[in-house]
Amino acid sequence: MTGENRRTDDETATDGGTQTGRSETTDTHRTSREKRGGLHRFDVSSAFGRQAVTLVLAATLTFLTLPILVTVVASFGTSWTGVIPTGYVNLDNWRTVLGLAEGIGVRQGVIRGLAYSAGLATAGMVINIVVGVPIAYSLVRYDFFAKDWINTLAILPIVPGVILAIAFLRMYPERGGSTFGLIIGYALLKSPFMVLTVQSSLQSMNLQQIEESARSLGASWIRTFLTVIVPNAKDGIIAGSIITWTLAAAEFNFTYIVHSAGPRPFSLFLFENITRSPVLQGAAAVSVYFLIVTAVIVLLQRVGKAGFTTVER
Amino acid sequence: MSEVTLDSLTKRYDEEVAVDGIDLTVRDGEVLGVIGPSGCGKTTTLRTIAGFETPTEGRVLFDDDDVTHVPPEDRNVGLVFQSYALFNNMSVLDNVAFGLKMQGVDKEERRDRANELLELVGIGEHAEKDPRQLSGGQQQRVGLARALAIEPRILLLDEPMTGLDAKLKKRLEEEIGSLLDELNVTTLYVTHDQEEAMVMCDRIAVLNDGRIEQIGTPAEIYERPANAFVADFVGTSNAVSATIEDGRMDLGFATYDIDDIPETAEGTAIVRPGDFRVGEGDIEGVVRDRYYLGDRVRARIELPNGDLVTVALDPSTENARTGDTVSLVLDPSGVHVLRSE
Repeated sequence: MTGENRRTDDETATDGGTQTGRSETTDTHRTSREKRGGLHRFDVSSAFGRQAVTLVLAATLTFLTLPILVTVVASFGTSWTGVIPTGYVNLDNWRTVLGLAEGIGVRQGVIRGLAYSAGLATAGMVINIVVGVPIAYSLVRYDFFAKDWINTLAILPIVPGVILAIAFLRMYPERGGSTFGLIIGYALLKSPFMVLTVQSSLQSMNLQQIEESARSLGASWIRTFLTVIVPNAKDGIIAGSIITWTLAAAEFNFTYIVHSAGPRPFSLFLFENITRSPVLQGAAAVSVYFLIVTAVIVLLQRVGKAGFTTVER
Repeated sequence: MSEVTLDSLTKRYDEEVAVDGIDLTVRDGEVLGVIGPSGCGKTTTLRTIAGFETPTEGRVLFDDDDVTHVPPEDRNVGLVFQSYALFNNMSVLDNVAFGLKMQGVDKEERRDRANELLELVGIGEHAEKDPRQLSGGQQQRVGLARALAIEPRILLLDEPMTGLDAKLKKRLEEEIGSLLDELNVTTLYVTHDQEEAMVMCDRIAVLNDGRIEQIGTPAEIYERPANAFVADFVGTSNAVSATIEDGRMDLGFATYDIDDIPETAEGTAIVRPGDFRVGEGDIEGVVRDRYYLGDRVRARIELPNGDLVTVALDPSTENARTGDTVSLVLDPSGVHVLRSE
């Protein structure tokens, strides 16, 4: 066995050798460039390129995250008349928004509404996993009649929530506004994002040969799908789950039109607090939203990391 | 291990014939190479044996069992692909143990056997790694170990070396070749590379347009090609029109006495580059171009009748530069005549 081991080491050594060769080439290249330096035009991209990219990135990140940070901080303030809110730390805004305050005109069942809404988004996401993964698989794996058209329909989020909502109410006047209607609506509206992410995940592997290897080793088609294909598409499924969940939770148009009775979903909670309440209460509501979304993202990623593996340790 | 027989196997896709009535037997324990240009039907043949294609006509037999309509998972066939096709959601060890798990072998035993196989292919120390951490050659070894783990009735290799660099490929050819010999596995080895097939295989089938042009040992198909296609596909050859009359072979530029083809015939003589030598011969020619290949020099020489022949020369003894006039000696014993019908 030592003989074989030694050979394998050789292989690594060869790789190393190639790398050394490459870096030498780079050095030579640089030297010749420096030599020509005097005649060379001033190279803007090599002088400032890296700094410019860093700056743009930092500016973008600040631009995107600063409003959220300010909002979260503001939600703990007492008044917001100047540039920066004052009077910390005040939990009244959060209490009011979550319906925990005491007194006249308190809101009822806010937390129940949030939980209900999270349930709706989760159910929509589960439907998208169950339906979207096989759709993505068949679009990548097989050739069939009108494949391109079906592909386009499956991955384009062309129907706006408003239109789907009105169509729902016309088609199913009794059930359209029910929990069931909301779940189906969320699943339909957000399904392209699941199909798209899973599809790109599946395209990055040699699907047919992986599948055929598993089958030749004695796994039935369904077992191959569940123990080999799905785990290998894990990254796409997690990304798709996060996107479909958060977008469903924030879907306003569809919810606003379709929702008739029962606990108040997320988007209506946000709408209410932002349009008909003091600014700082709006800030608290937005903070609640981001808190929940962040928690869900972290949770889904952890589930994804822990699950999907058949490695026996 | 089994003997695998293809009985007048035909596969058609709509109007296109991929495999056209192939009769082929892979003998028990033999490594049979299937070579041919792309689109010749070699991969379709392999996929039919594995069960991923159902033949339009004909049968696939493993020993005496007709498996033509048996699904792939019940055929007990080992598959190795060019792309390795490893399961990246599992460790190297679990990849190799996967087939055993499907067979219901218990955990301890399949770990032991997977470890044994990894040792056998020389990567025992990488058992717990993620397949993506390994180099191409190592990944292909995992692929081979995984296919061998189920003790397949036939091992099917589909261009297993194609993605590897030349040096590594040479070493793997030797290693895998001797491993297959040692394990006595019935193997079908599909490749477009005739040299690789000659190293690895006991016999070679040359496919063209869905038909078998010739089956034989590497020496047979190189030295006595059945037709012009095989002669051209396997190695470099010069096809020279020949006339045979009264035990003499006339190649146009020279005439030789031959004993083994006494009757009168017209045909094509296949002359390998190595049959020529530069020396005091009776064939005069002008060197048109030459390529230095290290162990030999390949030159194209124009003969007085205008024919161009490819000649392999020994760089240490035979010196010929472009434009030189050289005199060639031909060893007629290596010349193989294809008679035109």
